[in-house]
Amino acid sequence: MKSVRTFSLASAGIFLIYALSMGVIPGIMLSATPPTPGLIDFTAQAKHGRDLYVGNGCTYCHTQQVRPLAQDKVWGRASVAGDYAYSSPELLGTERTGPDLTNVGARQSDVWEQIHLYNPRALVSQSIMPSYRWMYEEKDKAAPGDVVVPVPAAFAPAGKVVIASPDVLAITAYLHALKQAPLKAEAP
Amino acid sequence: MIVQTTSESVTIETATEVRLFSAFAISATVWLLITTAAGLFASFEFTYPDIGSHSWLTFGRLRAIHTNGTFFGWATMALVGTSFWIAARASGTTLKYRTLAWAALWAFNLATVLGTLTLDAGWSNGSQEYREWIPAVTLVLVVAIVLSAIVVFRTIATRRGAEIYIANWYTMGGYIFISIIALVAIIPGYQTGIGQVAVQGFYIHNAVGMWFTFLGLGIIYYLLPKLLNRPIYSYALGVVGFWTQLLFYPMIGAHHFEFSPLPWWIQSLAVIFSIGMIVPVWSTVGNFYMTMRGQWSAITRSYAMPFVWVGIVCYFIGSTEGSIEAIRELQAIWHFTNFTVGHSHLTMYGFVSFIAWGGIYGLLPLATKKQPSLTAVGVHFWFATLGVLLYVISLSIAGTVQGMTWATGNPFIVSVANAQPFWLARAVAGSMMFVAHVVFAYNVWKMTLARSPQAVAPFAPIVAAA
Repeated sequence: MKSVRTFSLASAGIFLIYALSMGVIPGIMLSATPPTPGLIDFTAQAKHGRDLYVGNGCTYCHTQQVRPLAQDKVWGRASVAGDYAYSSPELLGTERTGPDLTNVGARQSDVWEQIHLYNPRALVSQSIMPSYRWMYEEKDKAAPGDVVVPVPAAFAPAGKVVIASPDVLAITAYLHALKQAPLKAEAP
Repeated sequence: MIVQTTSESVTIETATEVRLFSAFAISATVWLLITTAAGLFASFEFTYPDIGSHSWLTFGRLRAIHTNGTFFGWATMALVGTSFWIAARASGTTLKYRTLAWAALWAFNLATVLGTLTLDAGWSNGSQEYREWIPAVTLVLVVAIVLSAIVVFRTIATRRGAEIYIANWYTMGGYIFISIIALVAIIPGYQTGIGQVAVQGFYIHNAVGMWFTFLGLGIIYYLLPKLLNRPIYSYALGVVGFWTQLLFYPMIGAHHFEFSPLPWWIQSLAVIFSIGMIVPVWSTVGNFYMTMRGQWSAITRSYAMPFVWVGIVCYFIGSTEGSIEAIRELQAIWHFTNFTVGHSHLTMYGFVSFIAWGGIYGLLPLATKKQPSLTAVGVHFWFATLGVLLYVISLSIAGTVQGMTWATGNPFIVSVANAQPFWLARAVAGSMMFVAHVVFAYNVWKMTLARSPQAVAPFAPIVAAA
């Protein structure tokens, strides 16, 4: 090759075709996917929770994607494109060091999530999930309106009560909202 | 056929070029230390989860700091600095637009500082892997890349002789592709929901294989003939490798989302072309093998050759593994498991980082006329090599164990418990790799800032074996 210009135009041109056909155009077309019927948009509080989920990198261990495989049945029905209509950024994930969360809102209660985020090992002894203690307030006595988290005594700070911060409540609201809409074909 | 090694009949090294090369190597090394310290701490959190119960030490933030920092702080800066040196040397000229090159260095560093701090504060661009830096920071990175590209293209455009040497094909290709990839990644507004998954599939893999691979192969195409003092076996095979990589690679990104709700045709093309990648990989590695054939003793006679050799071996094994791993039946087991993390270290560390080290050990002493410590190079090499070997083996087993535990219908937590011993082995491996990085930093200091009595001695990259 003797010309920088010819080389550049040829390789940039070829790659641009790929960028458009494999990235940009599928991106634009699939972004218009309508929501699965019955799918509920996230509330403002849940969206704040999602921002915290993103900022703390929850997605590096938790997928939100049920595959059409036997071993994934435990997480719910197989995910379809419309399930993500309200999910931007997409949080499908590529690692499942912890359980899939596609349908976690149907599995766990808010109180369970609040204890679990404070210290996962209080509920699941073999868990390696980080503790998000810094999001909680530890006080001598709860004030009116405080959401007290019933952390088991062995894991609670001595002589103090654990209060869920607005951030904890937001994450809980987000996890609570992660529920699959039933597909008609699968109705009993 | 034109067989050309390097146009070094005229070698003009200006003091600025030497300082630039040194500054890029030093910056990259500082980021290697910081971001692998983050990765190392994160690896211990798998065994001791309560050590990181602070916002700024939590796994999810450290992981993004580690991946983005090693990609853009360490590997990118190391490869860019080396590519400047090679672009000029293989063109028989001096580096052009050196002010822009300095500006690029500052921009790379600024982006990595801001990216690391914002991620640690919990600001992430949607947890989109390898593009987690917020858009303002990514913009600084893009400026750095474009400035570097201008420097490289201008330098190659003013080369002596008509032909562009093959190493510079790969370098130029890398800069062209990463610019387009970055554009696709940061333009907002057209990627939502499952549409963003399609864009992410395109981004995640091309940012690796159309940037780091191209710059890495460019370094090998320059370094092998130089260290072995013989031409590359087949120039034509290098050309074939370039175009087939360009034709196959951009299709394979969606293999990160197999069994997802992405359209089946995107996933199927990704699998087919992943297997097709065997063509460019094997022809390129074959070319390197034939170049090295009969010269195996050279591996023990130079600082750089052992690193280049391991880099080529890991490129071969890692890329071939990637092709096989993409097959649906295997993805059904390995997808979502630590097998992927093992694979990415085999390639980004075993291939890219080792080639970056080969480039720095092979060329930086020629620039600064200062040699590293031979013992320290040996310590670096063996800790890094045995470290990454243990790392990849333990995570490949961990991933297989995880996948099999799920496939046989156990409660999820059993997969966590079963992987635990391999995570500890990985943390040990990571510690070995980190020791290697500290020793490497010492060597970079020896090759740049240290006062060296060898500075006045005639320089040669070949050192007699002990």
